[in-house]
Amino acid sequence: MSLRVGIDIGGTFTDLVAILADGRVRTHKIASTPRDYGEGIIAGLRILIENAGDVTEVLHATTVASNAILQGNGARTGLITTRGFRDVLEIRDLRMPRLYHLHWDKPPALIERRMRLEVTERIRPDGSVAVPLDGAELESAIARLRAEGVASVAICLLHSYANPAHEQAVADAVRRALPEAAVSVSHEILPEIKEYPRSSTTAVNAYVKPVVRAYLTSLAARLRGLGIAAPLRMMQSNGGLAAASYAAEFPAHIVESGPAAGVVGAAALAAHIGEGEVITFDMGGTTAKAGLVERGEVLRSEALEVGAGVMAGSRLLTGAGYMLKLPAIDLAEVGAGGGSICRLDAAGAPKAGPESAGADPGPACYGAGGTEPTITDCSLALGYLDAAGLAGGSLKLDRDAAVRAIATRLAGPLGCAVEAAADGMLRLAAATMMRAIRAVSVERGRDARRFSLMAFGGNGPLFAAAIAAELGIARVIVPPMPGLFSAFGLLVADTEHHAARSLRTRVDAADAGAVQAALDALAASGEERLAEDGFPPERRARRRLAAARYVGQSTELSVALPEGDAASVLAQLPELFAAEHERTYGYRAPESEPVELVALSVVARGLPERPRLPERIPPEPAGAVPERQAWFPGQGWVATPVLGRAELGAAPRAGPLIVQEYDATCLVPPGASARLDGFGNILLHIPRAGVR
Amino acid sequence: MSPADPVTAELFRNAINALGDEMALTIYRAAYSGVIKNIMDYSTALCDAQGRLVAQGLSLPGHLCSIPVALQACLRHFGEDIAEGDVLALNDPYDGGMHLPDIFIFRPIFAEGAVLAYACTICHHTDVGGRVPGSNASDSTEIYAEGLRIPPLKLYERGRENTTLFRIIERNVRVPVRVFGDIRAQLAACEIAVRGMADLVARHGADGVRALMDETMDYSERLTRTCLAELPDGEATFTDWIDDDQIDEGKPIALVCTVRKRGSSMQIDWTGSAPQVKGAINNTWSYTAAASFTAAKCVLSVNMPNNDGVFRCIEVIAPPGTIANAVLPAACAARGLTGFRMMDCCFGALAKLYPDHVLAAGEGGNTGITIGGYDADRKPFIYVDFLSGCWGGRPWADGLEGNTNLFANMASFSIEVIEAENPLEVLDYEMVPDTGGAGRFRGGMALRRTWRMLADEGILQVRADRAVHRPYGLQGGAQGSASRNILDPGGPTERALHAKLTMTLRRGEVFRHQMAGGGGWGDPLERDPAAVAGDLREGLVSPEAARTEYGVVAEGDPPHIDTAATAALRERLRAARSRGARA
Repeated sequence: MSLRVGIDIGGTFTDLVAILADGRVRTHKIASTPRDYGEGIIAGLRILIENAGDVTEVLHATTVASNAILQGNGARTGLITTRGFRDVLEIRDLRMPRLYHLHWDKPPALIERRMRLEVTERIRPDGSVAVPLDGAELESAIARLRAEGVASVAICLLHSYANPAHEQAVADAVRRALPEAAVSVSHEILPEIKEYPRSSTTAVNAYVKPVVRAYLTSLAARLRGLGIAAPLRMMQSNGGLAAASYAAEFPAHIVESGPAAGVVGAAALAAHIGEGEVITFDMGGTTAKAGLVERGEVLRSEALEVGAGVMAGSRLLTGAGYMLKLPAIDLAEVGAGGGSICRLDAAGAPKAGPESAGADPGPACYGAGGTEPTITDCSLALGYLDAAGLAGGSLKLDRDAAVRAIATRLAGPLGCAVEAAADGMLRLAAATMMRAIRAVSVERGRDARRFSLMAFGGNGPLFAAAIAAELGIARVIVPPMPGLFSAFGLLVADTEHHAARSLRTRVDAADAGAVQAALDALAASGEERLAEDGFPPERRARRRLAAARYVGQSTELSVALPEGDAASVLAQLPELFAAEHERTYGYRAPESEPVELVALSVVARGLPERPRLPERIPPEPAGAVPERQAWFPGQGWVATPVLGRAELGAAPRAGPLIVQEYDATCLVPPGASARLDGFGNILLHIPRAGVR
Repeated sequence: MSPADPVTAELFRNAINALGDEMALTIYRAAYSGVIKNIMDYSTALCDAQGRLVAQGLSLPGHLCSIPVALQACLRHFGEDIAEGDVLALNDPYDGGMHLPDIFIFRPIFAEGAVLAYACTICHHTDVGGRVPGSNASDSTEIYAEGLRIPPLKLYERGRENTTLFRIIERNVRVPVRVFGDIRAQLAACEIAVRGMADLVARHGADGVRALMDETMDYSERLTRTCLAELPDGEATFTDWIDDDQIDEGKPIALVCTVRKRGSSMQIDWTGSAPQVKGAINNTWSYTAAASFTAAKCVLSVNMPNNDGVFRCIEVIAPPGTIANAVLPAACAARGLTGFRMMDCCFGALAKLYPDHVLAAGEGGNTGITIGGYDADRKPFIYVDFLSGCWGGRPWADGLEGNTNLFANMASFSIEVIEAENPLEVLDYEMVPDTGGAGRFRGGMALRRTWRMLADEGILQVRADRAVHRPYGLQGGAQGSASRNILDPGGPTERALHAKLTMTLRRGEVFRHQMAGGGGWGDPLERDPAAVAGDLREGLVSPEAARTEYGVVAEGDPPHIDTAATAALRERLRAARSRGARA
């Protein structure tokens, strides 16, 4: 029977999910093989599939690009830029991510200064040539790069978005002279004004391109070796799939592929079960991430930072990582996961995270040398997790070690019982996670209470009810296989191409012809790529967006454009923008204030032949698990039933209750109730009064 | 709640600090002013009913204690006459404000019929009138030339707009649409605060919130006192100089900072600093305090929440009539310069007490550059830019280069946007080799930017410093290089210009500003030769400077260190140094 496979590589585990033609789902979780991730994939596939010829599609999310950046082992890369501007990559936008921080160090530029070479040339902002490209300087720059033995070359000249002629000439010369080198050209990657974001994005692309290309080439060969002839598609940070060949050319697009896949899966599932408004909550071992699905659309941002690490603080402070000015699913991430360390600070105040015990030594209960209590230790000490172990029992947990660590490090100094200390820490961790959720909702003018919370990741279902109660969210959805949900998301994503271009004009003075031409060109490029991906015209859809602001404002809002020609779009834009401004900031400017168009973009989407989501994913019956003692604030130790997902019926069951699965544990606290829906989701109802 | 519940207290701290950040984000996203966006020259906060700072959003260190001072001025004026729906505003530096472009907006938050807290915002507005666009000139000599002065007034009274005040603002500022846009952003942030505090009241009750606000401040005080108590006691004084105030050209202005640390308290005393000056670089007490707190906080702990608890532990003394605490009618629009330099000066005093904790001087704060005039179509243009960029060497690492000054989290403008919006061509924006002071950990390299005028003519205004009094080094590290203003660099009519200037720039003329380089930390002869090799490799240090300043001999490209020759040269340089010391 034909099947499609989704593969998500994480730091610790490689998750594989297959959907069969009849809707049945198979999953497998295997340890990642960081030295050569392809090995783990092939090992997992051998277990997951019986007949390689049955595979019709392989969908993949990988950390290979972001790892190259985090570990600094990308390609030896050179840059050719306009004379006077070699330091753009180093100066960045000057800003630092932490105030008052004398120990702050910038991440080193991906291209070192001696490999950043300048050529004399100048294009004006209107695209006219002020100074022609100096061929002799270009020759000597290329000779220098050859002598340095670069494997990749980034090309970024000023105002190339307005006229790419000089960049094209440089690229042609580089390709001729250095045929082995990967070439990344800024106007092809990001034809938009502002040299730093464009340079940074181009540099990231160049730095990871040989690494990603080698990885994808090797993976494709291995899949063929296994007998899988199906196309390989990659998840992009924007939530759309792209052909592997495209990802190899523009790897900057796949940097945040794994987290994006989870949100896409949540959006597809939400649409399927008729939930339009969902906040996604993905909690793993070190971090928790929140995203937003509104009217079925995933909230996106226009830029992301890669390699920034995790900040417990505000999203206001940027600069910790490398900037990518590309559309990405907007995820707010905080340093709260199962491994987050719980401590008292110098003034005796309790803190949960952002430091993490990681996988090694891990929480105290792993018995691998960790002595500081973590969030997982607290969950175990209170009976929420099963001491018999995680991942189906492959990892046994030492509850005594957890209790000891909490007693000596927290409860003792605080002068309280172990249970109170552990419960306090879980509440603090939940508060940190709520900041991520507020960042995508309240900070954008959205009332979190209007949304349902979809919780996944290994730890998401454990915390979801408490967080929902704090935020006033009444409904929590825990999808099937929450611990492998990103791999599942891959299987329900669509192929998508995002293209944008700068176009700055006051809307009331806009040249409709120019706007029409820009929209047509963007649409045509999307159509072309979808055609390359094999989508016939009737299976192509598009969304058009404008970035706009009031004249004089310095931040844009994204507005979805209606169908119709440029003139009618322009006529409607001021009202559409004002409505969005009101929704986001709570007010609109007087009508006399003109609106400015800043950029246009088109999202071209390839539609699948048939729905990609199965009608339902019925849970597998699990063996009986004895009830266990769990501690709840105000109630103390309570004998708490422990069920498998299949044992939860369609009728609501009141908490306290623990739904224990292979890959995650769902906690239903007293006051809340849980039931199974027709699809196979656990639905938690959180009463207004909250949980106890 | 019981006061002994540390988890509830921590949860509340999280919540109220997050609220301050949400307010900050609201302004950031909705604001019109480029100064707000690029320099983050705005702040948000929550204060209690007595006007004490409880939580401040993450934006500008330079506003650290301005908000309680301004709010308390309002409370003095209005006393009990504060009702639900009121919104208070002011900008008068001599009645709670800092300088005229900074407009404070406060909204009382009521619970159970009484004031519970205040939502507080301050934004640097694009223009508040006065003799120059931007209201930011450094060469005004009285506050009366600097723009519209707003004493503590009600912008809204019980929800009703004060149309008189709005109309006066509208008639007195050059770009009312922008100013009102930014005021709306401030009001939107206050609305966020009102909603957020209502949530907290629903959870803890009004009295519970009051107790938790007290605990939030007490916690900061405990944390600050713990950090202070761990440091040795002592007293140290440091003197630094501002080159001049542009009016009395060439007359240096003394900044004198004495830090006294005893037990768990600190005093930062500016007695001995110069009398207030004619030029517009005079500080209010609150701005001097912001510089003092920023320096102290950098050295003590980045984790202390910004609130009244910190202020209780650190006393700032600034005698009235001095540049550190000016009185009427001193001009103060461009006092940013003085704040940056006071932070450096306070670092200098702290370095004497705690040498292993403090960095050498950076570039001295941002340089303000304005070029304004009319383009070919007689349309006015005004280009306002602030450059910053390097730190002094640190006891553990080199100074950063191409990084914002600590006192303001500035972003640089895009070159392409500058060129698209103004009749200017930018010829370069880069680091300048050999400008960071030599040291075991060297200072950051200076940045420079060069402009060519494309319109017939325009007025160029520059507010720079550190052209004469260079950034200091520490522990044997060398000074950073001086800042420079140059007309027609490398051309036939090249000439050096004064650090602060107002002049006409004509079509085709080229102006370059090079910032000062950071000071070095520690003896350059102790610098790891491999680090010097790295700088040589990157073209940041020349082979000649490697020899003369660091005693490092290197050959080839990429450079290879000659270990034996380096050891011998360093020996000779040390010997020459001790001979020099004897002579």
